[in-house]
Amino acid sequence: MLGEFEYLLITAAAGLGDDAYGASIRDEIEAATGRKCSVGALYTTMDRLEKKGLLKTWMGEATPERGGRAKRMVRVTPKGVQAARAFYDVIMSVSRGVSWVAN
Amino acid sequence: MTVAARSLVELAARLLGPDDREAVLGDWAEAGQGPWRGLVEILGLAIRRETTLWNNWRPWLAAFGMAWPCTLLLMGVSFSIGCTYQRLAGPTACAKCSPTGQEESLLLLCHVVLLITWSWIVGFVVGSVSRRTLWVSGVLCLIPCVYCLSLFHETSLSRLCLLLFLPPAILGVRHSLRITPIKPGAAIVLAAAVTVLMFFAWRSRALWVPNWALMAPVGYMVLLAWRPARQVAGRGA
Repeated sequence: MLGEFEYLLITAAAGLGDDAYGASIRDEIEAATGRKCSVGALYTTMDRLEKKGLLKTWMGEATPERGGRAKRMVRVTPKGVQAARAFYDVIMSVSRGVSWVAN
Repeated sequence: MTVAARSLVELAARLLGPDDREAVLGDWAEAGQGPWRGLVEILGLAIRRETTLWNNWRPWLAAFGMAWPCTLLLMGVSFSIGCTYQRLAGPTACAKCSPTGQEESLLLLCHVVLLITWSWIVGFVVGSVSRRTLWVSGVLCLIPCVYCLSLFHETSLSRLCLLLFLPPAILGVRHSLRITPIKPGAAIVLAAAVTVLMFFAWRSRALWVPNWALMAPVGYMVLLAWRPARQVAGRGA
């Protein structure tokens, strides 16, 4: 099963679609959680998920606002979608009936 | 942002691989973060990357299982070769290195060949087993060298005789950094030659028992030669 941060990363990448790359995923995670997301955590988690076959990454084009540096683009694989859905189902299932969830 | 601060961040980014460096420096520029934050982030990633490598058994084997103990053994052999050469070449004898310090010309030649092949093989195996942690293996090789050099008080011998094993070992490491793996036939011939020479030296009572431990890298080299080329090219840890 996915970890919490792995789920956040996959969900942010899936939501961004073709615009999913390091900095944009990081912004999404920071906006959603209200916490700082370190580059180290982001890139090592990306590597781990790619090794598990849940993500695919490749080097994209360079842009002027990035100082001419390339982006590391991210796409969620079907296996990644399946793993995120399984995580979500578990969270939904375990949360059923608890006081802070409106049933 | 000053040029110095930018240079510092870019210097720290050199600890990362080329793709990581490109992506992280781009993200940093895009986010418009300060140099201090950029530096901390990049160092954090570099430390995480290094830590991840050590979750595998390969760096441990290369650094603590091969580089460090083999350096001690090879330094011993280098020293005994220096002593024997000095005894055969001149009147001043160095009697500290029995049994290998007492041998004659043929055995000395055998030990020289063994030292060269052992050192090359150890360097090759250390570089092949864990390429990305090679710097740690290098440090673990240098520590005993520096320590022994500092304790070296043999006035009749040059200190450099302790380091005779280093040039072939460095050549072995260099060979391991090429993508082309060692051919199985060459590995077997090398391993067989080392085994024969070791038996010859052993039968002549000119080999220390711990030197048999140097057969471990020899065996590992033969195993490496049998791995598929794709696996060798892709080894990362």
